[in-house]
Amino acid sequence: MTDLEDQNLVQRALEAGPESFGELCRRYYPSLVAVADSILLDHHLAEDAAQEALAAACRQLPKLKKPERFGPWTVAICRNVAKDMLRGLQRQRKPVEVCRGHDCDGEQDDDQKAILADALQQLPQHLREVLYLRFYNEMSYRQMAKVLGATEQVIDGRIRRAKKKLAVCLKKAGFRR
Amino acid sequence: MKHDNDHRSLDPLLARHIQREPETFDFEKWAETHPDEARLLRDGYKDTGRSAKTKPYEIWRFIMESKVTRYSAAAVIVLAMTLVLLSPFGTPGNGGVVLADVQQKVAGIETMIIRGTKTFTRPGKDGDVFEFDGFKGEFDLVKYISKQYGLVEKGYVKDKLIYRITFNHPKRQTLVVLPPWKKYVTFTSTDKVVQLLENLTPEGIVNLLMAGDYKELGQDSINGVETEVFGFQNSEAFIGLSPKTLFDIQNLKGRVWIGIKEQLPVLVEGDMVIGKCFMSMFNELNLHEVNTFGDYNIELDEDIFDTNPPEGYTELTLSDILQVIPIEAKTGLAGPGLIPAGFVVWKRRRRKKAAIHPS
Repeated sequence: MTDLEDQNLVQRALEAGPESFGELCRRYYPSLVAVADSILLDHHLAEDAAQEALAAACRQLPKLKKPERFGPWTVAICRNVAKDMLRGLQRQRKPVEVCRGHDCDGEQDDDQKAILADALQQLPQHLREVLYLRFYNEMSYRQMAKVLGATEQVIDGRIRRAKKKLAVCLKKAGFRR
Repeated sequence: MKHDNDHRSLDPLLARHIQREPETFDFEKWAETHPDEARLLRDGYKDTGRSAKTKPYEIWRFIMESKVTRYSAAAVIVLAMTLVLLSPFGTPGNGGVVLADVQQKVAGIETMIIRGTKTFTRPGKDGDVFEFDGFKGEFDLVKYISKQYGLVEKGYVKDKLIYRITFNHPKRQTLVVLPPWKKYVTFTSTDKVVQLLENLTPEGIVNLLMAGDYKELGQDSINGVETEVFGFQNSEAFIGLSPKTLFDIQNLKGRVWIGIKEQLPVLVEGDMVIGKCFMSMFNELNLHEVNTFGDYNIELDEDIFDTNPPEGYTELTLSDILQVIPIEAKTGLAGPGLIPAGFVVWKRRRRKKAAIHPS
């Protein structure tokens, strides 16, 4: 997954190459879903947001000045699409039902899950985003750095800050490990 | 690196809570649900705007090709960017406000009149307004925008009209009028200039903003209208929009107030740090612009967008421009090859001679 490859794929997509755009989509879709989920806290809506973001990216592809930055660019679009969807839902007074973890099937440690979900919700969005990227698809720091257009050091710093804040929140809420 | 040992015990917890099966993307299905985008990909982007291969310097070179209009054309495009940048079409609104709704509403607006101010100041000196040829760079603005006919911006200083820029969309013609100097410039918008301007359409600008980050700054009341305020900064898409030689936006931040009930922009305020470039006549400047909205979908006469030169005006030439640019600026122009260095030297010599042999 090199920059050059992304660059080539963007160029080919611009020259009537749907397969190339398809490859870019396959490459970044999981990250987009993770980013959208960190905002919407709903997996299905996150998928919708990711697909809409790819549609927007497709329309705006000729305006992408640095094709090697297709990933961060699409992630930024996805972030905005997800935020917009969230506001739309809030405006319709249909708050997103937060799914506590994998399934909402009422397991015995539901309370602990709820505490963790609340703690995650309290994190600033950019910190929650890195945790979702890290744990959603077990992305490496390198992959995350590429997707977010940041350095590995920045990613490392964000993850550490996110965990630290999370630990404080969990402790306050009386979370049992 | 990776010093996340402190809270490693959280990892399994987070993994259980967040982890999912790897996502797979079904391109065929996506193409079915997004037929317009699929068509774009299949047919290519040739007719849909700027090709990715069009580099800023190519546009710059193209603009500069015409000997008669090259400088004025560049200046006009730059002014257009500022003009559209801070128009309501370019709002990144959201909030209790929903961006998609704002986009839709903005797209439905046929005409509008905007009033505001535009102030050029020198960096680091509060209130030191940039002066150019005896005029303070502090303008009262009126903008007329029509989807059908184009765009007009008028800049006034103390009720005196200093400039009027008219883009006539159907005629693909641009006119710049400078009443204090009785000068004008007119030129045909070439395909590439039109393409550049098309990137600055309402939709284009909103899309550009969508590609950047914005912040919610809370609610505010503007003249009794309840609004949500959003801040945007350093949108890479904006800053990269123009060649640096032409318009070197080094920093950009702004705020937009969007009516919660109306889902339309009420006020836009923007601040730009501009490096030494043609737009700033090779000065480092700050630009602050405020636009207030109110008149939507009102009837605008086609004549407003007339691009015929007014009677009694003469065409602006390169010599006219150079007369009002300081020597340092001329050197700056010669540096990047915008004007021949010899021209500057020749002008300097002429001045020196005149000083030695005053007639």
